[in-house]
Amino acid sequence: MDEFIIATLRYGTPLVYVTLAGVLAQRAGIWNLGLEGLMIVGCCASVLGLVQTGSLLFGLGLAVVLCVLGSILLWFVVEKLRANPIIAGLGLTGLGLGGTDLAVQAIYGSQASVTAPEGLPRLGAIFGPAVGPYGVLSILVVLMPFVVIGLWILLRRTRFGLQLAAAGEHPFAARSVGVSPSRMRLVALSLGGVLCALGGAELALGSLQIFAYGMTAGRGFMGFSAVIFGGGHPIGSSFAALFFSVVGAIGIRAQLMFGDRVPHDLLLALPYVATVAGVWISGRLRGGARAAAVSGELRDY
Amino acid sequence: MAPSGAPALECRDVSVSYGPVAALSGVSLRLAPGLIHAVCGQNGAGKTTFARVASGLVRPNRGALFISGQEVATGNVARARAAGVELVHQSFALPPSFTVAEAMEFGAEKGTPIYSRRGLEARWKQHLENLGVRVRLRDRIRDLAVEQQQGVEIARALVAEASVLILDEPTAVLSPTGVEMLFDRLRNLKAGGVTILLILHKIREVLGVADTVTVLRGGKLVEGPLPAGDTTPQRLAHAIVGSAAEQALSGADEAALTGAEGRDLGASVEPVASVPATPAGPVALEIAGASTRADPEGPALADIDLAVGRSEIVGVAGVEGNGQRTLVRMLANLADLQSGRIALAGTDVTRGALAARRGAGLRIIPFERNTEGLSLASSLWENWSARQLLFGPLLKLISPAAWRRDCDLSLKQWDVRYATTTQPAGSLSGGNAQKLILAREVDADASLIIAAQPTRGLDVGATAFVWKSLRAARERGCGVLLISSDLDELFDISDRLIVMLSGRIVAEFRPPYSLSAVGAAMTGAR
Repeated sequence: MDEFIIATLRYGTPLVYVTLAGVLAQRAGIWNLGLEGLMIVGCCASVLGLVQTGSLLFGLGLAVVLCVLGSILLWFVVEKLRANPIIAGLGLTGLGLGGTDLAVQAIYGSQASVTAPEGLPRLGAIFGPAVGPYGVLSILVVLMPFVVIGLWILLRRTRFGLQLAAAGEHPFAARSVGVSPSRMRLVALSLGGVLCALGGAELALGSLQIFAYGMTAGRGFMGFSAVIFGGGHPIGSSFAALFFSVVGAIGIRAQLMFGDRVPHDLLLALPYVATVAGVWISGRLRGGARAAAVSGELRDY
Repeated sequence: MAPSGAPALECRDVSVSYGPVAALSGVSLRLAPGLIHAVCGQNGAGKTTFARVASGLVRPNRGALFISGQEVATGNVARARAAGVELVHQSFALPPSFTVAEAMEFGAEKGTPIYSRRGLEARWKQHLENLGVRVRLRDRIRDLAVEQQQGVEIARALVAEASVLILDEPTAVLSPTGVEMLFDRLRNLKAGGVTILLILHKIREVLGVADTVTVLRGGKLVEGPLPAGDTTPQRLAHAIVGSAAEQALSGADEAALTGAEGRDLGASVEPVASVPATPAGPVALEIAGASTRADPEGPALADIDLAVGRSEIVGVAGVEGNGQRTLVRMLANLADLQSGRIALAGTDVTRGALAARRGAGLRIIPFERNTEGLSLASSLWENWSARQLLFGPLLKLISPAAWRRDCDLSLKQWDVRYATTTQPAGSLSGGNAQKLILAREVDADASLIIAAQPTRGLDVGATAFVWKSLRAARERGCGVLLISSDLDELFDISDRLIVMLSGRIVAEFRPPYSLSAVGAAMTGAR
């Protein structure tokens, strides 16, 4: 059982961070499809920063700065150049995937992956043997529930959260009380950039200590689906993300149990199948497509 | 009316232009504190722009804004709000998913940094009660009736210490009793020292509530502010319409526009009696016992019985959201019909698709001109010829050149102002866009025309044109089902009036209409 929970948290923590970034963007009225790109930038920058300088903090800082810059780029393209947010987000994902590959090749030649000398601080190293098998988890796993609660308070229990929601749902209403929807989106996307950086760093340095090309493997899109599944609510969406990771952990378990009797690829595909099912269910529950259509069009007159 | 001290709101030489169009030019206006001021004018006269300049939503190209004697930076809502100016919008500006309490909070200023749901409700309960707005704080904005929504919107505007409250066309969505309630509320606010600026276009309402009247026409100040006691409905009407457009109005139309006294006489100006009440032959529309499932755009219809005769205009009155949209959607085969029967000109179309219904003579002028009626990005001729696409085999070749020619001819007949038939429909003004729809929908084969809010947002000239077209269709033997929230319009043009409430037809009236009886039926007050 411990193993199963550890597997779920390892798989789920990066996903939750990136999901929260999606929640922020969705509340501000942008369906952010750039999450995948931002996340891989977070993976790559944290590993490369660490390898090049030997400082974990520098790696994390580099990841945060680059992810925030990527988010600001998305904001600029959507808000100032009036591009379609979906297309711009997909563009950002392409930029992230291609850009990280280019960076690795430029620095290390045609090396498939970069291995980091150390990872994020582990629980075992901080709290000693008291945490038992959970000692292998990184500090960001413990931080995750607090970030979820903190974001819930920010979004649902402060006036800032209401103004952000107004900017996303009815920009004209926000403007009518003197709130700039554009500035609200900048704030939401930038905060989301920080979360993507953390999610990427956890994925690359949490358990693996490695950066490999395309290692996010669609987790950004999965986080995007969790936002839809969770109805844009920080806690609901985080649970949706954890649900996807439970399915992922079941897949890993099943590989161990069934061995070669069941094709590996099929089991690895489980979380993605669950994602599709989740989006379908949420569509049945609350008219997802229509909700998305309404949110996609920013009314401002 | 001696202004005591500084005016509550003053504009100096304000000009606003949107591209080549001047919405306001050189308007200077001083409004004394503690009174109810009305600004009236036609559509496009610049009323809404004026309200938005005063509240900081629109930055004028030129001019200055003073609030209580202090100059305020233009085009900055936060500054205008800090100075005490609040605006209540024509179409409400609250996020639909917010609860009432959240809607109060999101524009507020002081208060705890982190709130609890209960704390928020406790904070705003008293505020709403003081204003006489009776809603539950947990209800979502989208679930409120329009009157409640407006009450919440006004309460939202008063969360800070507002000294000037601007309301943009607040009566457009209200029933007659709702209007009275609103005016009582405004008088109470005035007694509390708030200066109120009402943007209105109905003269009767203006004279009923306002202390001073200001008239805008074509973005210019025509008259005022002059004391409401010093003017008459006729004089105001002339100031609003101007002398040139005036001749286009028939007596009855003018009576409807000014909401003149003795409206019961106004209805009889038209020779309604000369039209046979139930003409022989198949009626244009017959609905028997129709019920629908709940519809995304309104309540379900329950047991609707309705007949529209040939050469008859039947008006549908009712507060918005009581099934009018579902009725139109049912006739267009968009709503799920559960039971009942629909016949068009004697042909049963209960199970018929829209193409069959259009073939039987159904024509629809939809509620939303810009989303349901036209494809704004498509050209005029494409919009105009859309109806042809329903008929004939799927692979039938079409000739765009011929259609462009036909469209050109048709649009000229309908007096649409345009440069070329290939320009996008979105480039037309509201009145011309509506004429384009009329040109498409009102043809010789029509047997029943459904006109849903056909004059909403149109100026006086275009409104009169729509009314004339509907009357002409009636003379040709067409049935007309007119859905409108403007009772003056319905009283003026309908041969018969039905009232819808919660998806049912609750009353039927024949001229002469009584405002109080129709109003009572609309609100279910009987």
